[in-house]
Amino acid sequence: MENNKQHCGLCKPEGLFEGKGKITLKDGIWENNPISIQILGVCSALAVTNRLENSLVMGAALIFVCIGTNLFVSLLRNVTPRRIRMIAEVAIIATFVILFDQFLKAFYWDMSKRLGPYVGLIITNCIVMGRAEAFALQNRPMVSILDGAANGIGYAIVLAIIGFSRELLGTGNIMGFTILSDTWYTPNQLMVLAPGAFIALGFLIAVFNAIKGPEEESAS
Amino acid sequence: MKFLLKIFDKNRHHFEEGGKLRLFKPVFDATENFHFSPATRTIFAPHLRDPLDVKRFMSTVIVALAPCVLLAVYFFGLRVLAVIFVSYAAGGIIEVLFAVVRKEEINEGFLVTGLLFPLILPPAIPLWMVAVGVMFGVLVGKELFGGTGRNLFNPALVGRCFLAIAYPKAMSSNWINPVLEFPGRMTQYVTSLNTDAISAATPLALAKQGNWAGIPNLLFGNVSGSIGETSAIAIIAGGIFLLFTRVANWRTVVGTLGSFAALGFVMHLANPQIFGPVVWHLLAGGLLFGAFFMATDPVSSPITNGGKWIYGTIIGVVTLLIRNLTGYVEGVMFAILLGNIAAPILDEIIVKIRLRKLKNER
Repeated sequence: MENNKQHCGLCKPEGLFEGKGKITLKDGIWENNPISIQILGVCSALAVTNRLENSLVMGAALIFVCIGTNLFVSLLRNVTPRRIRMIAEVAIIATFVILFDQFLKAFYWDMSKRLGPYVGLIITNCIVMGRAEAFALQNRPMVSILDGAANGIGYAIVLAIIGFSRELLGTGNIMGFTILSDTWYTPNQLMVLAPGAFIALGFLIAVFNAIKGPEEESAS
Repeated sequence: MKFLLKIFDKNRHHFEEGGKLRLFKPVFDATENFHFSPATRTIFAPHLRDPLDVKRFMSTVIVALAPCVLLAVYFFGLRVLAVIFVSYAAGGIIEVLFAVVRKEEINEGFLVTGLLFPLILPPAIPLWMVAVGVMFGVLVGKELFGGTGRNLFNPALVGRCFLAIAYPKAMSSNWINPVLEFPGRMTQYVTSLNTDAISAATPLALAKQGNWAGIPNLLFGNVSGSIGETSAIAIIAGGIFLLFTRVANWRTVVGTLGSFAALGFVMHLANPQIFGPVVWHLLAGGLLFGAFFMATDPVSSPITNGGKWIYGTIIGVVTLLIRNLTGYVEGVMFAILLGNIAAPILDEIIVKIRLRKLKNER
């Protein structure tokens, strides 16, 4: 139990959103954004983003799964034997993914059909597993929740931007409302196809990198 | 000419370091280079005098394209000139923008891309699509890879591929019916609203319904199709000029047309129902134009001679297969882009083989 009280040096006693919590949040959403910086979870980011609605639901799914996984992995981190930690993580992830999947099937059947296998495939999403491995195994539950939320939000924001631009350019509509009228706008059909997702993601990463400025060479 | 030189010398200081217009130095340099040969010299040996720099290279291609453009204006009208103008203007904006931001020279490479791109478009295509396509081609096909000389794909084909997937309807319907009797359509400006002049199908599309255009028409270009691809004679004339000046490599051209003809001949004997006569297929569509002007692009084709043969063969075979066995009417564009992907790998393989041979000989 001594382990639990260990401080990491960054933590300050003021509260969750100061010190380490703040750094964790900023890291997940912006500095180390899972998609635009680490290029993780790209498969789902390309597959479901042809409509904004799908992207939002997928983002919500990942936030939910990330928070749940990080919380439980963190709670169990001192009782999980090291050698079976991976399988334990997968079991936890799968539990939350199935929960969300069943929820969709019960209340939003159409959406569930549209997302197809991609909700189930969150189990294999490297973002969730990566955060559990890299963060939750070493940190206390509250901060782990924050980290899960930050990464989930970082993922959801990127998905929403891609989904928004693809639906807008590809169909002229957003969530069923016509924005670009077809009297003067010809829908760009490339954007709703898979190559359009690659192009949109590429441009998004370029913009993010331009805002962040040139990467500092690590002194290694 | 003295007068021009004076203007350049008088205004140079505005563009030098510290001048008011220093941001636009690339534009100044490009204009000066266009009129006079550049004053820069290499500092270190070896000093080799060769008039064939990138500029000459590119102007040779433009001269070779002239017959295609002239015949296109004759058959399809003034609209052709508008398409070419928009292509140069819109692509030029991207080119200048990148040169200014990266503080590099404006490269003459765009003079060719900006002319090749309109020549592979349907003549009555909306002008804004021309602009979008050429911007995408130059931006994604060339500048993002690092600019002229570093691109993996032919930028003009990237632009056309983008348009073909994004706006399939406009890219497959805006053909203009040619007029043979003098003065052709030289005095007309045909838009897609002029339904009399618009034709729905090119010879290749009609051939799929069993309606074969006459070979003389294919030779002269008296058929509908992309702006530069219809007249076989003009393309061959320009192409041979390119081969003689060695701007285009004959291995690529022979590899492409040869493999296409050889496989097409065998297939025609085996199954004339699906595979049309070889000579007709050689002349129809964009194959000749692609083989002479697009596949031979020195940047996106392989460097080694062996690589060029294989590269040409890939293009010829893929074109034949796409044309005859898929829902697509024409496959030259996809074939050349696939060839472009393979080009660096082909070079690598050929070089490795040669190195191994040298090792064994020792």
